[in-house]
Amino acid sequence: MALTITCPICGKRNGYEFKFGGEEKGPRPEEKDLTPEAWCDYVHMNKCVAGVQQEWWFHKDGCGSWFPIYRDTTTNLEQEDQKATNQEGKNDEQV
Amino acid sequence: MMNRFNHLPTLKVDTTQKIAFIYKGKKHYGVKGDTVATALYANGIRIFARSLKYHRPRGLYSLDGECSNTCMEVDGIPNVRCENTLLEDGMVIKEQNVKGSAENDYMSFLDKLDWLMPAGFYYNVMHKPAKIWPIAMKQIRKAAGLGKISPDYEMPGKFDEVFLNTDVCVIGGGPAGMMAALSSAQKGLRVILMESRPWLGGFFEYRSGQYKDRQALHERALFLANEVAAHENIRSFTSTSAVGTYNNNLVTGFQIGKKEDVFDQRYIEIRAKSVVAAAGCIERPLIFDNNERPGVMQIACALRLAKTYGLLPGKKAVFSIGHDLGLEAALELHDLGLAISCVADIREDGHDPELLKKIEDKKIPLLKGWVATKAHGSKLVNKISLASVDGLVSKSFDCDLVVASAGITPVTGHITVAQGTLKYDNHTGCFLPDQMPEKMHAAGRVLGLNDPLSVEASGTLAGLQAAFDCENCSIQEIGEARKALENLPGPVRGTKLVTAPVKGRKSFICFDEDATIKNIKQAIEKGFDVPELIKRFTATGLGPGQGGIPGHNLPLYVAKYQTLPDVSIRPTNVRPPLVPTLISTYAGVNHKMFKITPMDEMQRKDGGIFRNLGVWQRARYFSNDLTCKKEIENVRSNVGMLDGSTLGKFRIHGSDALKALQRVFVSDMSKVKQGRVKYSAMCNDDGCVIDDGVVVKQGENDYYFTTSSGRAGQTVEWIRYHTRYDGWTFALVNLTDSLGVINLSGPNARKVLEKVVDIDISNEAFGYSEYKEFKIQDTVQTRAMRLGFVGELSYELHVPSSYVKAVWLMLNEAGKEFNIKNFGVEAQNVLRMEKCHIILGQESEQRTNLLDLGLGFLWDRNKTEAKTVGAVALRQAENDQTRLKLVGFKTENNTRAPRDGALVVDEKVRGYICTARDSFSLNEAVGMALVEGELSKIGTRLEIYEDECGDDRIYGKVVKMPFYDPEGTRMKM
Amino acid sequence: MKEIQRVSPVVFKSTPVKTKTRDNWEVVMEYSEEGDGPFLVDLSHRPRFDLQDSNLAAQKPFGIEIPETPGICVLEKGVLANRMNGTQVSLYNLDSDDTAVMPDESGYTDVTESTMCVALIGKNVFSICEKLTALDFMDPQRKAPFLFQGPFSHVPCQIVTLSKEGDISGLVLTCSRGYGRDMIHSILHAGEEFKLTPAGENRFTNWIKEL
Repeated sequence: MALTITCPICGKRNGYEFKFGGEEKGPRPEEKDLTPEAWCDYVHMNKCVAGVQQEWWFHKDGCGSWFPIYRDTTTNLEQEDQKATNQEGKNDEQV
Repeated sequence: MMNRFNHLPTLKVDTTQKIAFIYKGKKHYGVKGDTVATALYANGIRIFARSLKYHRPRGLYSLDGECSNTCMEVDGIPNVRCENTLLEDGMVIKEQNVKGSAENDYMSFLDKLDWLMPAGFYYNVMHKPAKIWPIAMKQIRKAAGLGKISPDYEMPGKFDEVFLNTDVCVIGGGPAGMMAALSSAQKGLRVILMESRPWLGGFFEYRSGQYKDRQALHERALFLANEVAAHENIRSFTSTSAVGTYNNNLVTGFQIGKKEDVFDQRYIEIRAKSVVAAAGCIERPLIFDNNERPGVMQIACALRLAKTYGLLPGKKAVFSIGHDLGLEAALELHDLGLAISCVADIREDGHDPELLKKIEDKKIPLLKGWVATKAHGSKLVNKISLASVDGLVSKSFDCDLVVASAGITPVTGHITVAQGTLKYDNHTGCFLPDQMPEKMHAAGRVLGLNDPLSVEASGTLAGLQAAFDCENCSIQEIGEARKALENLPGPVRGTKLVTAPVKGRKSFICFDEDATIKNIKQAIEKGFDVPELIKRFTATGLGPGQGGIPGHNLPLYVAKYQTLPDVSIRPTNVRPPLVPTLISTYAGVNHKMFKITPMDEMQRKDGGIFRNLGVWQRARYFSNDLTCKKEIENVRSNVGMLDGSTLGKFRIHGSDALKALQRVFVSDMSKVKQGRVKYSAMCNDDGCVIDDGVVVKQGENDYYFTTSSGRAGQTVEWIRYHTRYDGWTFALVNLTDSLGVINLSGPNARKVLEKVVDIDISNEAFGYSEYKEFKIQDTVQTRAMRLGFVGELSYELHVPSSYVKAVWLMLNEAGKEFNIKNFGVEAQNVLRMEKCHIILGQESEQRTNLLDLGLGFLWDRNKTEAKTVGAVALRQAENDQTRLKLVGFKTENNTRAPRDGALVVDEKVRGYICTARDSFSLNEAVGMALVEGELSKIGTRLEIYEDECGDDRIYGKVVKMPFYDPEGTRMKM
Repeated sequence: MKEIQRVSPVVFKSTPVKTKTRDNWEVVMEYSEEGDGPFLVDLSHRPRFDLQDSNLAAQKPFGIEIPETPGICVLEKGVLANRMNGTQVSLYNLDSDDTAVMPDESGYTDVTESTMCVALIGKNVFSICEKLTALDFMDPQRKAPFLFQGPFSHVPCQIVTLSKEGDISGLVLTCSRGYGRDMIHSILHAGEEFKLTPAGENRFTNWIKEL
């Protein structure tokens, strides 16, 4: 596989050593007063950006850790220290 | 057999060593170093194959395998590229796609019927009425095609694979590639050099022209090759084609093995920090009538036949060329004894004056601004017509060899496959690299360069640029290398002529697919305007040559023919593999990696029938009776042993271990008591059950738990995923393989175990659902659980894997008096089904939640602060009446059990059968099914539909679960 | 009473000529026709421990200072300590004469039984490896001993390279015990062209003393 992922423990490795864990969406919401819609959005809704996204990967064949990376979905290349397109606006919501 | 030169310094054959091979059933001889193609040529064979559609005779053309002309069947393997395959002793070689022989093919009449087969005729005719097509298809398939293969064919040969890491990967072992490799290696970097031919040297290696200071090009090639071989940082792979280049500089290729190698072909995958693309050039075919008639060949083909293989390509030749290489070749071949009647050069001017003078000195007639228009001869060339480029004047010459080439074209596939772009360059008439992919650099003739010194300088520059990518080279050094290159001659002007002034009915643009210039015109007239579409419609470039022959000519011709002012010339896309690659080569070594349990050996001895179940090999049956009657009855009435080692087994410890368990298990794990076994389940965020198992508390925040066999591989991943934001302190240790599990089940289980252990295991001392740790014979540390999955008294013994055999032997010995027997996975499946104990994946699918299975009692709804995975969804699902429910059923009138997966229907599908068997314990057919809520009431009649049952149905009735021992007295005894 | 014997997940077809019983394992010290290397040595009987603790810096298993950076290993008095990540270290007792007893602390787990363990030592070791994995053992940035956690013959492994020095190259590899049979098959198959042969524990013990 051409894709490489940089594991914070093991370094840059072939993509097939890893398992995808979805977009970064923040921690699990509190259950109190959680509406079914909000829950469903948290679990199932994705931004699917054409650009840089922050996302989770699991080093399945390696050290067994979960970690987030930034990846450009249009080139399938990892980006170092990039602001992710799918995280834009996240701060606005919180404000 | 033809005479060979044996004095040339460039020869790669040893004419003293004969190699015997069989062609068409007769013994022939080649020499050591011959390819299959050159050996045949040396034996006077000129027609190698017949073409795909028209059965036209085809022969040697490029010598580098760029078209299917020389694809043959070698040792039973079809479509072997003979120009790239080294001759070996005893090879059996056959021609392809012929009726009769390549020499006399009964199907050659098809060549006269080309008017019946215009571009896209497949799509246009024989469709109406629809009945015609199947008949027509059969006939077409019989007549067309290349090699033949039967569906059950098994590829012979040895295949291997290597996965390499390097700083710099250089594609192409010519002068530019070698210079690049050397300049990177001299920076201390690791370099891999890939070259398709069996030797390094590229376009220097077979030429006698001057490099500099009276050194011949071939001498320079040898010098560089020796330098490369001597450098410890460079690993060269010859006979190795790079077939793919991808993101992050992943390069794939394959190597053809030599006789002494342990592989026939091996797949090579290289991860590089930087790549140099220096694959050089191939020739651009000249298009005229019958331009692929045997006897017509490209410049390098004719020259290399002589210089590399010692074979004079013909007796009397005419050249029709458009590049100085043609003049150079004419001079070299003339000196070797080839009679040259005429050299027609497309160019009016721009020739190398030195070459022109030599041509004049040797009295070789030269026609400037002339081109070949038609090759004559029904099977082999015997005459060639030439005309001025404008078509006004013409001449013809008798000859047996036509050396024809329109110009050169860079091999840019490695750049474009890696998403680099090309741009048409008006000066050279070539598609040259425009935007290079990240950390990839082009060098040599790929850049349009031709001068030997420039080619080398560009290699040096690319090597340094690659070193820069690896942070081993300064900007200044690159600047100097660039300046050095700029001071040398740049690209020379190239010809742009594609076709001679002909109508093009028999002028082939693509040999593999028998596509002519006329076909291209037909496609354009049908409205196809873009080369990429015309390529699809006419199949031009879709053959084994991967566009090598028409790749450059097609877009040029299309642009010219359309005469549109604003059509930018765009090449068609090439895709990996850039060179035809065997699927066996990609498959490489087939290591089957399965896990075996510590009981594998003993169970195989006892006649276990094994199946691959997930990552494991497990004993599914112990006799050929697949209903497992005896195994089941022995467990119900006596005692049996099951291998449960595949269960996932984990230790979790650390200050937040309980919190982590609370997150993933639906039950309240704080209620787990030491010495007891707690059954629970895990759900996903949709409340669907993904796993079940038991948890045992070993101490404060120290637990031992099991998971189902299929989930063991994902358990760590799952728990860490769902706690990834919490920063909790807990440690997971996967003990799945650490402990073998022997499940001892049946009414006599206690009597057997008593003889082996020293502790009191009476029902009072070790009751149902309890957990104990003890040592067997003061040695084997054992964890024991009293569970009842199969519905009988049973002990699950978790034993260190290395001791499993010892314990197994003890139990067997102790159980002898009761006639203890193994039982397998299928017997267990039936036993637990009678007890209505579920197996996830069998009684559930992706959408089945905890409540659907009737396992809602496991869920503790009050631990909201734990944010238990699945809890939110379960709460929502509680009031959902539309979900399927798990029910037990019996068949009506004692009919047999339906098959697993059969559907529950009325006028529509209402559910499906999960597991159902004819139960020996109950003497009736029972099973479990997932059905819609309204069918779940006890007593409901179920109509069951099996695949291909027609109008027959099986009927069942919903009954109470479990079927066997509903009070559970047997497992608690 | 029958003597209790432990069974290794690694089975070689070669004929043992010298064996020794240790902690109920029948350890093969030497096989017949071991050849000149490279060698494959079964070390599955060697004790191996998992230590996980949020404050590893405070831990000194067997008196060893645990390396700070994941991927770095130390070999001291025959015990190899491999830093796996921020909170985890694996400990292999490769060559201490007394059977190392696992410290009685909650962070430790005995994982001897979890994995099969072999040493691959001698010439061409890394030529064998490149047929089975894309891991870059020859990366000049990595100085032995170092740990790789990654796929080898498609199976997740822990591989500790102990030497990259030509003919005395060598590494120790562990993977799930259940894969023992197929892993050995695949390593021996890959090593066939380099005349890889099974060897007894003596071969390994002598080799590790030379490091």
